[in-house]
Amino acid sequence: MHLVLVGISHRTAPVELRERIDFQARGLEVSLRALAQRAAVREAVVLSTCNRAELYGVSEDPNQGGSAFVDFITDFHKVDRQALQPHVYQVADLDVARHLFRVAAGLDSLVVGEPQILGQVKEAHSVAGANHVVGPFLNRLFHSSFAVGKRVRTETGLGSGAVSVSFAAVALAKKIFGDLKGRSVLVVGAGEMGKLTALHMKSQGVHQVTIVSRTMAHAARTAEAIGGASAAPWEELDPLMGSADIVITATGAVSPILTKAHIETVMRPRRNRPLFLIDIALPRDVEPAAGEIEQVFLYNIDDLQATVRENLARRASEVARAETIVGEEVDKFSVWLRSRGAIPTVVALRQRFDAVRRSELDRLASTLPADVRERVDDITRLVVEKLLLTPTEQLKTLHDAETIGLYSEALTRLFGLTSLQAQGADSPSQKSESASDAEQRSDRGDRRVEPFVRPQKR
Amino acid sequence: MNFIPLALYTFALLAYAWHFAQRQKTSAHAATTLLVAGVLAHTFVIGMQTMQAGQVPMTTPASAISATVWVLLLAYLYIEMTTDERAMGAFILPLAVALQSIPAFKPAIEDRAAVLQGPLFSVHVLSLLFAYASFALACVIGITYVLLFKEIKAKHLGFFYARLPSLQVLDSMNQRAIVIGWLFLTVGLFVGWIYATQTGYDPSVRAMSLHDPKILMAVLCWAVYSFEAFAARRLGWGGRRSAYLSALGFAIVLLNFVPISYFLTTSHNF
Repeated sequence: MHLVLVGISHRTAPVELRERIDFQARGLEVSLRALAQRAAVREAVVLSTCNRAELYGVSEDPNQGGSAFVDFITDFHKVDRQALQPHVYQVADLDVARHLFRVAAGLDSLVVGEPQILGQVKEAHSVAGANHVVGPFLNRLFHSSFAVGKRVRTETGLGSGAVSVSFAAVALAKKIFGDLKGRSVLVVGAGEMGKLTALHMKSQGVHQVTIVSRTMAHAARTAEAIGGASAAPWEELDPLMGSADIVITATGAVSPILTKAHIETVMRPRRNRPLFLIDIALPRDVEPAAGEIEQVFLYNIDDLQATVRENLARRASEVARAETIVGEEVDKFSVWLRSRGAIPTVVALRQRFDAVRRSELDRLASTLPADVRERVDDITRLVVEKLLLTPTEQLKTLHDAETIGLYSEALTRLFGLTSLQAQGADSPSQKSESASDAEQRSDRGDRRVEPFVRPQKR
Repeated sequence: MNFIPLALYTFALLAYAWHFAQRQKTSAHAATTLLVAGVLAHTFVIGMQTMQAGQVPMTTPASAISATVWVLLLAYLYIEMTTDERAMGAFILPLAVALQSIPAFKPAIEDRAAVLQGPLFSVHVLSLLFAYASFALACVIGITYVLLFKEIKAKHLGFFYARLPSLQVLDSMNQRAIVIGWLFLTVGLFVGWIYATQTGYDPSVRAMSLHDPKILMAVLCWAVYSFEAFAARRLGWGGRRSAYLSALGFAIVLLNFVPISYFLTTSHNF
C-alpha cells in the first residue's frame, strides 16, 4: 500500500485555478463520496482551503492512484487536464507525510506559521472519518500531523506574533489591558480603515465602540455598519477620550488633530488610567510627542507595520527549528510505515491459529455442555492471544523490507499461511470479519482506526 | 540542613530561567517540580528545627529570612498554580536563592530568650514575615512591569513582550501584594508596640524606640507602602510609579533584614 497526494496550492497555481478547484464550495462530503467511487483509491481525505486543494489517499500503485486523483479533479471540477497538469504536484509515501506535516505546522502557508491551517487539517480528517473513507494509513498520517502541528507551535516561535496590522493592534491592546472584554473603544473618523479596525476590536469582545466624526451622519452610518456601535458628535471628543481605553484615529485631516497638550488635558481626570492610541491615519492624526506622556501608548501605522515585519522575521528565523521537528516526525512515521509491511503476515498467522482453535472447539462441541464450551472458548482464545503476543510484537518491530520478507517467508512455510496471507491483503471492505478483527488485534496502536467502507452505490 | 532547600531552589532557578528563555513545556514541569520539592524540603527543615528548639525558628535574623523565603515561595506557588503563569518564577527564584543562602551559610542556633514568648510575640513576628514576603513579590512583579512597560513604550516588542502577562495583570498583582503586605506590616508593628509596652522590664525591650535603626526603618517602610497604597488609589500612581515605589520599599526591607538586623540594631538582639 502507498500513500498518495495530489494537489495544488498558492505555490503552484494562480488564484483563478484555485477558485475553480474549490472542494469546500462543492461540499467536502459530496467530494468525498464522489472520490470514494474511484477504484484505485482505498482511503481518502480532501483538504480544501482558500490557498490549497489537496487529495490524500492510499493506493496499491502510487502512479495509478495519483492519476486517479488527477482524473477526479478534472472530472469533478470540469477542468481541462492539460491546463491543470502544470500546476499539480503529486507525491507518494514519506513525501506525503513530509508535505502534510509541513502543512499542519504552517510551514507551507502563505503567511508562515498561521494557526488556522491546523484546524482545517483536523476538520478535513474529521469529515473524512465521519464519511468512513479513512483507514489505518490516513488515520495514522493525520494524527501524526496534528502532533507535528502542536509540537511546532509549542516548541518554536513559528506561530508567535501578529502578522497583520489589525492583529498587531489587538495583540498590543491585550498586552496593555489583558482581557478586552469590558473595554471601550473610540474611533475618531468615519472612514473605512477605522471601521475595519473597530470591527476587529469588536470581534475580540470589547464592551463599547463609539464613532466620532466631524459629520454626524457619517459617524452614524459607520456605527450602523459596525453593528452595536454608537455615534457621537465631534464636540464630545474630549469627554469620550476621557472614558475610552483604546482610541483609534483615522481621519483625513492634514495636520494632527490630537496634540500632546490636548492629550495631557484628557489624561488628568483619568488619573493615569492607560490609554492606547492607535493612529492609522496618513498624514498622522496624533502628535508623536504625545507618546511621551506616562500611561499613553501611541502606535501609528508605521509602528504597527514594523511590528508585523519583526514578527515575520522572527517567524522566518524559527523555520529551521520547525523543519527539524518535521524531519524527526517523518522518521517516526517512516518506522511505523515500514512496520506495516509485516501486517498481512501477522493477520494470516492469527487467522491460522484461530482456525485451528475453532476447528478443535467445534469437534468437542457435542461432548461439552454449553457453559463449559463457553469457558473453554474463552480459555483457548486467551492462550492463543498470549502465544501470539511476542511474535506479533517482534514482527512489528522489523523496519527493513528484506528482514520482513525473510520472516514472512519463514512463517508462511512453517504454518502454511499462503492462502490466508492473500486473504489478509485484500481490501478492507472485502475482508472477512475474522480477518478484520485479527488486524485490529495485531495493530492495537491504531485504536481510532475506522474501517474503510465504500458507499454501497457502486 | 538548609543546604538541601537551597540546592533545590538553585536547580529550580535554572529550570525557570531556561523555561523563560525557551518556553518549553518539559522545562516548565521540571521547574515547578523542583520548586515544589524545594519547598517541601524547606518545610521539613523548618519542622526539624522546630522540634529541635521546641518552638518555630523565627527570632534570629537567619531563621527569619529562612521563614520569609518559605512564605514567599508558597505564595508564588499559589499564584503559579491558580494562573498557570510561570514567567514570574525566573524573577522570584534569584531573590529566594540569594536570601536562602544566608541561613544556609550562616546558620544560627535558635535559643529564644524568655521574654520572646506568648501569642503576641508570634503574631508580631509572623505578621512581619508575611508582610516582607508580600513586599518581595510586589517588588519582583514591579520589576517585570517596568521591563514590559519599557518595551511597549519603546515599540520594541521583543523578549519580555512575548513572555510576560499584560501590564494590567502585573499592575493589579502588584497592588494586591502591596495591600496585603501593608495590612500585615501594620498589624505586625502595632502588635509589636503593644508587646513592647507589656514587657518593658527587659533591657532590650526598653531600648526600643525610633532611635533603633531597625524600628526606624520598619516605620519608614510602613510610610513608603502607606503612601504607595494611598497614591495608587487617590492620585492615580499605579503602573510604573507604583512599581518603582515597590522596589524602593523592598530595598528598605532588605536593608532592615540583613545589615541592620546583623550589625546595627540596638534593641532587636535577644
